[in-house]
Amino acid sequence: MVEEHSTATQSIQDNVLQAREAAPLHSDGKMVRLLDHFKREWQLYVMLAPTIIWFLVFLYKPMYGLQIAFKDYSIFRGVAGSPWVGWEHFETLFSNDQFLRAIGNTIKISALNLIFGFPAPIILALMFNEILNARFKKTAQTIVYLPHFISSVIIAGIVITAFAPTGGIVNVILGWFGIDSIYFLTRPEWFRPIFVGTGIWQEAGFGSIVFLAAIAGVNPSLYESAVVDGANRWQMMWKITIPSIMPTILIMLIIRIGNIMEVSFELVILLYQPATYSTADVVNTWVYRQGLQSGQYDLAAAAGLFNAVVAFVLVMTANTLSRRYSRTSLW
Amino acid sequence: MAGVSLSNIIKRYGAVQVVHGINLEVAEKEFVVLVGPSGCGKSTTLRMIAGLEEISEGDLLIDERRMNRVAPKDRDVAMVFQNYALYPHLNVADNMAFGLRIRRMPKDQIATTISETAAILGLTDYLERRPADLSGGQRQRVAMGRAIVRHPKVFLFDEPLSNLDAKLRTQMRAEIKRLHNRLGVTSVYVTHDQVEAMTLADRIVVMNDGRIEQVGTPMELFNNPVNTFVAGFLGSPPMNQMKGQLTETGARIGSAEIKISGAMNGDAGRDVIIGIRPEHVTLEPGAQTSVLPIELDLVEPLGSEALLHARFGDDNVMFKTETHGDLSHLSGVAEVHIPASRVKIFDAETGNALSLGG
Repeated sequence: MVEEHSTATQSIQDNVLQAREAAPLHSDGKMVRLLDHFKREWQLYVMLAPTIIWFLVFLYKPMYGLQIAFKDYSIFRGVAGSPWVGWEHFETLFSNDQFLRAIGNTIKISALNLIFGFPAPIILALMFNEILNARFKKTAQTIVYLPHFISSVIIAGIVITAFAPTGGIVNVILGWFGIDSIYFLTRPEWFRPIFVGTGIWQEAGFGSIVFLAAIAGVNPSLYESAVVDGANRWQMMWKITIPSIMPTILIMLIIRIGNIMEVSFELVILLYQPATYSTADVVNTWVYRQGLQSGQYDLAAAAGLFNAVVAFVLVMTANTLSRRYSRTSLW
Repeated sequence: MAGVSLSNIIKRYGAVQVVHGINLEVAEKEFVVLVGPSGCGKSTTLRMIAGLEEISEGDLLIDERRMNRVAPKDRDVAMVFQNYALYPHLNVADNMAFGLRIRRMPKDQIATTISETAAILGLTDYLERRPADLSGGQRQRVAMGRAIVRHPKVFLFDEPLSNLDAKLRTQMRAEIKRLHNRLGVTSVYVTHDQVEAMTLADRIVVMNDGRIEQVGTPMELFNNPVNTFVAGFLGSPPMNQMKGQLTETGARIGSAEIKISGAMNGDAGRDVIIGIRPEHVTLEPGAQTSVLPIELDLVEPLGSEALLHARFGDDNVMFKTETHGDLSHLSGVAEVHIPASRVKIFDAETGNALSLGG
């Protein structure tokens, strides 16, 4: 019996070896497997292609130009022809008060955005989740999603009109309480609250979709179990919903931290003016003015590279910390 | 402890009625199993008892108090869910303590209760682990622990073993039974698995299409099913059901004459369904047995027993017999013998059991 079994096993092994020899392509490693996969699933690769091309053209190809941060760039000599200057532009940057101020403003605005802007869509999603009337819920969602689809130029126009010293709704309301009209957009101390508030108004609704999707994924029997255990809606929100969507919150936080140096450039440009530069000028607007308006492309590239490196370090750190302490991470 | 009483319970979703007037009395400390195929309304009935579904009509009483409008938390019931419903972000101890914290039980009392319950369920070493780090059986035990710590009047189980593999299910089934014997809490248990129902229940409630087909002890239902549905649902393998006619002396199935205990009361010629449980046939003739010639198709050995798949006329039939450790005597089987006292007769039209006078 044992002999029969071992003979049968040997025969199977021989067959496998013969099959391998007959089909050598399948033993040639990853490249061949990839080609096989491509032949089999080419439709998927075709669908993937536009995204890859977009990445290559708009994100990877421009990286070639990053080297001008270390060159004395001239548009006539081109990227390759311009002479190397080492860290000179970075030294210039860090001895420039306006750039240092822009870094400070970027960090302050980002911190305010993180403190007030990041929780806003979460709170909104939690509130939507508690609305039981389906029609009211849909109407409320449509209303708060709407600003996201309005162009930043129009948003800025609405804000400028709303905060206008004469006829602006905010000053009209202040007038009802006997408060003198304030020209908000020329006052440095008002820029950040208005900017952060506008950002929340524009994006909180749309941002809540991700969290609503996460809430929809929470196992309904957790709530049923809690109901039987005696939990009320408030307790269920704190003890079930929020902990259950915490991985999503952390992922979104990591992404947000990665974008901490990317304060909404268009909105700042549209809302700020020289009178508010002291609190409104951020790295991106400074780069825009120096790079495009003053033609100092190399200096602007150095500032942009600095921005990217800081963002990279931040996102790596946040991801590592999140993975270590909450078992949730982007990669 | 408390009893549960369901009186004319109806459940509607819009215009669709899914539970059609259920009447059931669950006595104090009793273990009642609701069993039936998917969509028969058993889980809906359980959820109405828990308060997770509104009762459209009828009265639900727990401990003699009408509960129709009482919030789930005030019904003093604890429920074990099919997918355990453990909070993934909490460890075992916190999962078990959840309901107690909600009810603001003092911390030291919570700790004592958790530790006692964990000891009962063999979870003491796992109290710091999260559900993701536990096996299916351990998660199931945590879910039960969460129900036990509340010391409720009634336990409700909604198919708690269906996510476990066969071996673990058998093990957990015994644990649930032991636990019930130890705690003596009134329990209502939902399952679609008739083996679970037979092994766990003091009484089984067989449901079909939103109605109760039969209520009784496992052996009552097994021995005296009221209709072909119950006969076919309980028992593994299910009862063989063959069309035939009553005769003056018994029943005829195709070419075979079957003896039946009891008089026919002049019903000769009536179309009936003849029910024979697979385990009730013998391979040797006895007193008061009838011969059923069969064409043996397949023998499935189960160890001490074997399943014989065979054909009788147009019917596929199945019989169970002891092997005595040897299958050789089964290969040539061409007939089986049916004891007259074991034959069940059902009306061919209604499917209801016919009681034959003796």
